[in-house]
Amino acid sequence: MTPNAEATEHHGAQGPDPARAALDARVLAWLREPLSAQDAAPPDDERFDELARTLFGFQFEHCVPYRRFCEARGRTPANLQRWSEIPAIPAAAFKELPLRSFSRERICRVFRTSGTTATQRGALALDTLELYEASLLPSFRRGVLPDLGPGARARLRILAPAPDDAPDSSLSHMFGVVLRELGDERSGFDVRDGALDVRGLHAALVAACDDGVPVALCGTAFAFVHLLDAFAARGVRLVLPPGSRVMETGGFKGRARELPRAQLYEAIATSLGVAPDRILNQYGMTELASQFYDSVLCLPGSPRRKLAPPWTRVRILDPERGEEAAPGAVGIVQIFDLANTGSILAIQTADLGRTLAGGFDVLGREAGAEARGCSQAADELFGA
Amino acid sequence: MSAAGAVEHALARLRPAGAALRARPAAAVHDALADVLDAWSAPDSPWQSALAAELPEPTGFSPQTLREGLARGLAGYTGTALRALVRSELGGPETLDATGRRRVHGFETTATVLGGALPLPALVALLAPLALRSPVLVKPAVYDPSTARLFARSLAERDPLLGACVEIVDFRRDDAAAMAALGRADCVVATGSDAAVAAIGAAVAPSRRFVAHGHRVSLTLLGPEATRGAACEHHAAAIALDVALWDQLGCLSPVSVTVADPAAGAADRVAEALGAALARLETSMPRGRIAPAAAAAIVDERAQAEVRAAGGLQVRVLASPGTSWTVVREADAQPRPAPLHRFVRVHPAADPACAVAALQSRHPPLAAVAIAGFGAAEAALASRLLELGASRVCAPGALQTPPLAWPRGGFGVLTPLARHSSDERTL
Repeated sequence: MTPNAEATEHHGAQGPDPARAALDARVLAWLREPLSAQDAAPPDDERFDELARTLFGFQFEHCVPYRRFCEARGRTPANLQRWSEIPAIPAAAFKELPLRSFSRERICRVFRTSGTTATQRGALALDTLELYEASLLPSFRRGVLPDLGPGARARLRILAPAPDDAPDSSLSHMFGVVLRELGDERSGFDVRDGALDVRGLHAALVAACDDGVPVALCGTAFAFVHLLDAFAARGVRLVLPPGSRVMETGGFKGRARELPRAQLYEAIATSLGVAPDRILNQYGMTELASQFYDSVLCLPGSPRRKLAPPWTRVRILDPERGEEAAPGAVGIVQIFDLANTGSILAIQTADLGRTLAGGFDVLGREAGAEARGCSQAADELFGA
Repeated sequence: MSAAGAVEHALARLRPAGAALRARPAAAVHDALADVLDAWSAPDSPWQSALAAELPEPTGFSPQTLREGLARGLAGYTGTALRALVRSELGGPETLDATGRRRVHGFETTATVLGGALPLPALVALLAPLALRSPVLVKPAVYDPSTARLFARSLAERDPLLGACVEIVDFRRDDAAAMAALGRADCVVATGSDAAVAAIGAAVAPSRRFVAHGHRVSLTLLGPEATRGAACEHHAAAIALDVALWDQLGCLSPVSVTVADPAAGAADRVAEALGAALARLETSMPRGRIAPAAAAAIVDERAQAEVRAAGGLQVRVLASPGTSWTVVREADAQPRPAPLHRFVRVHPAADPACAVAALQSRHPPLAAVAIAGFGAAEAALASRLLELGASRVCAPGALQTPPLAWPRGGFGVLTPLARHSSDERTL
């Protein structure tokens, strides 16, 4: 095994495996169907199941480490009855193995997980960005800009580096695509050379206030903490124009200052004048092509939960029984994402969550809870 | 009354009680404490029974684990052991009574912030300042509201003044005002995660004594003489007991076993024997309740081990159907995360030097190391482990029964809580 042996250079290559091309085409067709129409109809479980089982068969055949993982669990395409039986590989596996269903020569892009500890970063190799981009846009639009009319563009300010500055960041790539497809001429990135450009962002937000243009301010949670600290230090308080919204994503692991989400939202409301019910979280990870957004903007007035795109399924797993947890019970979040055609469609995250009516919720890992023992449950100890 | 007010009042009550205690000969105080310890350590101790009955709910430990852990842990906590401790660390009780040029005293007040769910460290945390005739304010741990209270009651029954020298005030650790009030005690002892201990330390004025017990881990090393036949079975059973007692949550619970034996199959044999022993203990001493996050961490680490196996590494997962116990036979000596709750890794190493080198590569803060099977090389290995920071080296099966005088964290039991002074004038 050569751990994490994904190349960063881009390769030229011959065309894809015909079976894969056919799968991509079927998934792409689904991704391109209007989300609004799909939201109005019941979930198409039969379609998902058939595609997921076909994709599993393909990945089982073409990704040797994944095949061995499945075989060790006694699961093969031959004995698979339902998509929910597909073995989910832990997200951390992307740190250990090249998990792709195509040859190394076909790699066109490698996204890496954030490196906030001294340990190895996970790597997702892609041979096409088409599915990734086709998946991210409708979800972003539904989650963050549900009120944006056809052909319209929005004022987007991004608290993350631009793709050229962070070529291995899937988040930067996502924001780059969003900006290209949905941003207006005064939209842009506000992290430069690894630092938040507070002055530039302040000027951009003041200009939006002067113009009365609503802003969608998007970025990582810890970037928002930096922004709030910087604004507080300068005595800056803004009230962004009506219709503005904030989207935050990612955690705080390894960062200097952590804030519980409710506290972060209160602080954003105070500093930027955006009400907490117009602030939403995006749940995503490098290992997944699809993202999950809070429902607050597209389903205002209903309880906040995360919405899954139709081409994904979310299972909350009871860790003791290894089966689906009871509704509302806390368990491990597993994601099945058909847009992951080139890697592994079934991912077991390291997060806890619970199902909610019409969606799900991702919970913290008891951050700040008092330890039950004097031995160190050793993420930090051994640098997980 | 606010928690901060309760702390202030408790400290105010402790000062005169402490003065009265210091007016007594130290030996008399130790006699009373020794009687209390003997009452706790007796096999039929009603105090043990009461504690074992109260703790399953708040701690999550199974009743069987609690009974076994208390019986084994307290067996050595006798009056005799207390007197030996006083002699070894202070030279004897008369040192505390001395009025000459060199003096050793307890502080006017000691405050101790308890952490975790393990009762034995809590008991020692109360005992030690009292042995120095320092009255003690206790903030109990979230998961153990009982040990301090029952121990205080046993003290009061034996000696009302000793009872008056213990005050228990509970409050949330994030109650800054209460923590600041507690930080005004003359000596503050904190137990918990490194972050929690640091937060408490920040509330203590620099002029005060602050003693911190952060998190540590323990390990087991087995040599060639412990990896075959009956010796392998014997040591695996002993290690399983070390793991199962307190559900691996104590800093004396081993998180891994390194098999320093180049012979083929040694690590596999140990892993299999350890798995079998943990499975047996699950019947007689079942693991307790755990939070979903802890169970999820176990599931995740098991799956990651499966991934390493799928990648071609010689990794095996031996585990219960739920998350009750797990043994992961690793491919190398590299330390990996420890989800605890009876999750043990078995690492192969070519020899003791390789095992020690792996320890050094990421140098975890060590509490204790159990070793066996190294024959003539054992003494040198033990010495090296002590140099690396372990405060105990013992045999497998003995990790959870430290002597009362165990210098936890490299500190003495009494001396860190004592005030030493000398009069250097020329008479």
